[in-house]
Amino acid sequence: MENNMMINKRKNSIISIHALLFLFLVFIASNQIVNAQTIDILLKGGHVIDPKNKTDSQMDVAISDGKILQVAPDISVKNARTVIDVTGMYVTPGLIDMHVHAFHGTDPDSYIADGWDALPPDGFTFRAGVTTVVDAGSSGWRNFRDFKKQSIDRSQTRVLAFLNIVGVGMVGRFEEQNVSDMNPVMAAYMINRLYPDILVGIKSAHYWGADFTQVDSAVKAGTLANVPVMVDLGEHHPPLSIEELFMKHLRPGDIWTHTYANAPKDREVPVDENGKVKPFIFEAQKRGIIFDVGHGGGAFHWAQAIPSIQQGFIADVISSDLHIGSMNSGMKDMTNLLSKFLNMGLSIEDVILRATWKPANVIKRTDLGNLSAGTVADVAVFSLRKGDFGFLDVRGKKMKGTQKLEAELTIRAGKIVWNLNGLGAPLWDAKNK
Amino acid sequence: MPLSESLIKIRTMGILSRISAVIILGFFLFLIPDNGRAQDIDILLKGGHVIDPKNKIDGQMDVAISNGKIFKVAQNIPACNAKKVVDATGMYVTPGLIDLHTHVFVGSSSAFADGFSSLSPDDITFKAGITTVVDAGTSGWRNFPLFKKQVIDRSQTRVLAFLNIAGSGMTGFPSEEDLNDMDSRMTSLVIQQYPDIIVGVKIGHYRGSEWIPFDRALEAGNIANVPLLVECHLPLYPLDEILKRLRPGDIYTHTYCTAVDRTCVLDDQGRLRPSVIEAQKKGVRFDVGHGGAMFHFSVAAPCLKQGLVPDSFGSDLHRSSMNSAMKNMLETMSKFLNLGMTLQDVVFRATWNSANSIKRSDLGHLSEGADADIAILSIRKGTFGFTDTKGNRLAGDRRLEAEMTIRAGKVVWDLNGMAATAWTNK
Repeated sequence: MENNMMINKRKNSIISIHALLFLFLVFIASNQIVNAQTIDILLKGGHVIDPKNKTDSQMDVAISDGKILQVAPDISVKNARTVIDVTGMYVTPGLIDMHVHAFHGTDPDSYIADGWDALPPDGFTFRAGVTTVVDAGSSGWRNFRDFKKQSIDRSQTRVLAFLNIVGVGMVGRFEEQNVSDMNPVMAAYMINRLYPDILVGIKSAHYWGADFTQVDSAVKAGTLANVPVMVDLGEHHPPLSIEELFMKHLRPGDIWTHTYANAPKDREVPVDENGKVKPFIFEAQKRGIIFDVGHGGGAFHWAQAIPSIQQGFIADVISSDLHIGSMNSGMKDMTNLLSKFLNMGLSIEDVILRATWKPANVIKRTDLGNLSAGTVADVAVFSLRKGDFGFLDVRGKKMKGTQKLEAELTIRAGKIVWNLNGLGAPLWDAKNK
Repeated sequence: MPLSESLIKIRTMGILSRISAVIILGFFLFLIPDNGRAQDIDILLKGGHVIDPKNKIDGQMDVAISNGKIFKVAQNIPACNAKKVVDATGMYVTPGLIDLHTHVFVGSSSAFADGFSSLSPDDITFKAGITTVVDAGTSGWRNFPLFKKQVIDRSQTRVLAFLNIAGSGMTGFPSEEDLNDMDSRMTSLVIQQYPDIIVGVKIGHYRGSEWIPFDRALEAGNIANVPLLVECHLPLYPLDEILKRLRPGDIYTHTYCTAVDRTCVLDDQGRLRPSVIEAQKKGVRFDVGHGGAMFHFSVAAPCLKQGLVPDSFGSDLHRSSMNSAMKNMLETMSKFLNLGMTLQDVVFRATWNSANSIKRSDLGHLSEGADADIAILSIRKGTFGFTDTKGNRLAGDRRLEAEMTIRAGKVVWDLNGMAATAWTNK
């Protein structure tokens, strides 16, 4: 009996150990429930396209504390503070518009740097699913600090920038010719020593000289600062050889913008007069030259874009060149622009890639353009409208289309900054119904 | 040969010659002006449903534009001699919309006046069918010339303005409290100096209880003979007293909200206050002034039921309202459409009635000879949601969309390329 009692006691103690273990597990589980309660926004039932993570299927996205908490199928709703049903919609990383002019200001003697032709970004970004813009050289090292104070620090949109190789940036085409104001050392210092979190590259633009002096100066700065260079080659008569530019002057990872512009008398174009993409263009892309759309008010023509895409030459990055001359024209905004590429035959996954993860890599900001857990929660939700639509190029020529993206919801750092249809909002007269 | 001379000659001719001369002359009279007319059409909008409340037009009509002006609104205007023909079948053609309440004195300071809190109008207007905005007192008499040079003269949108009774406009607290800077005479003088642009006086922000600012604003309005816009962040002014002091034609904005710094137009039981009904009878006008915090369905819906319909849909456009529930004035119009107003009534209040509020009868209609400011709107059908500034939603089935906007005869917005020719490989 004693032995039996001992055994029983032992059994009891084993049971109580089990009980303790059980309680411990319950405790852990309940802790996880506490964790689950920290979901601020849960996007349910959408089709997630996250090219970095190769996600292209129905998933839920949980946001907590301004960050992506989890992307997974069927995340439980019961402890989320706000649940938004996005069934039938696409959920993507917030778009990155890699080419804008955001140094808005009131200097009557300047066009883009602190000028009227540049735009405060927030009026164009969130309503088009964009959460990050990259200013394309509106400022140089002399006036970047004004740009930062006046526009970047005041914008809800994340504003990054290419620094113009010209010290005063885009004050006027005339000032942009000043070779003695192109200082690679000062530009590189400003990027590396002062603003490495904002400045992502160097811009070379609008140069009149019949050579590559400005480009070479920009590449020198880019090499010193270890950042890419974006080139708008400007106009030359006769045009400079872009093959020489791509093969001899630029480095892999440098960027050619206004890819589908079509003014061959001023600037060499990728598609020749017979409608064929020049063979060296493919070579350049293989070499690692990045092609940027930079649509703008004068730099996107169906005559270049459509044959290019048909022959497999697709711009790596789709960007707007937002400024006063493009905002109400054929460009309009990034949803309109991405829709053009959808209707030219690109898949939605491909279009999203070229406006999220691809530009993030080009500007070496792989913290952006994806929905990995722990990433800042910049998220866009789109619906894809079907119908009869028309899209304009900069010559005012129309291409018809059957689909168009619409930004339903935009989230910046976990905060809803655009909500077209009040997704997730309570009905105002719910009490009466 | 002048017409009168020809007629005199006809009288002196024989009967046969007379008849043939009349026929020939008539033929020429018929031919010449008509030929001239047809060739003059720059843009012909064909087949749309025209809503032009001033001219009581509400049906399918063509609209011919010539030389930046409305040339003709009629049925079946021949297309053969128009330079550009736009097929507007299935869409609504209306006068360009007027946004009576905006803040567009954009600049580099952190305030509204010459500041980042204001917006460039062109960023927002054309894509919403708006061709005229009225700035709601962002500038005062001291900085109106800067506003004009910096924004008004550079904008494609027509920018009109109420002048703030505070001399430097909306510079923020506490400079807007300075009684010494509220000068009715200077305000009225600057209004009279720019009669084509400044349409009224505004009083907006004052935290004191004495009526000096209000009375000075009214006085400026009396001297310059323009209406007063009351944007009442005036916490110590009782609503009844404000409305009692307003003259017929003065405008009360932020009508449909419950905000801490004012009395709501509805009482605790949700009924229109008697003072509001009295003011409406007297001819005081009520503007929406949606903004980022000033529009609530819980106020708007009962007001509509009880007859307080907005005279204008002023958006209160500024940096922090543009991406909120407000979005743009067309969205505000869609809200009222889904709250039960007819499209015709909504268009009336966004065009001709708004023009009347600012005494600008040259605007907001499609009469021959008027500036060709035109909106082409389509109504999307579907399942939509509209939010108010409390974050509450109105479910709706119609949303207005601006297909095309024409400003002074020029296409400034073309959503789907209606005015464009198709791209070809050639």
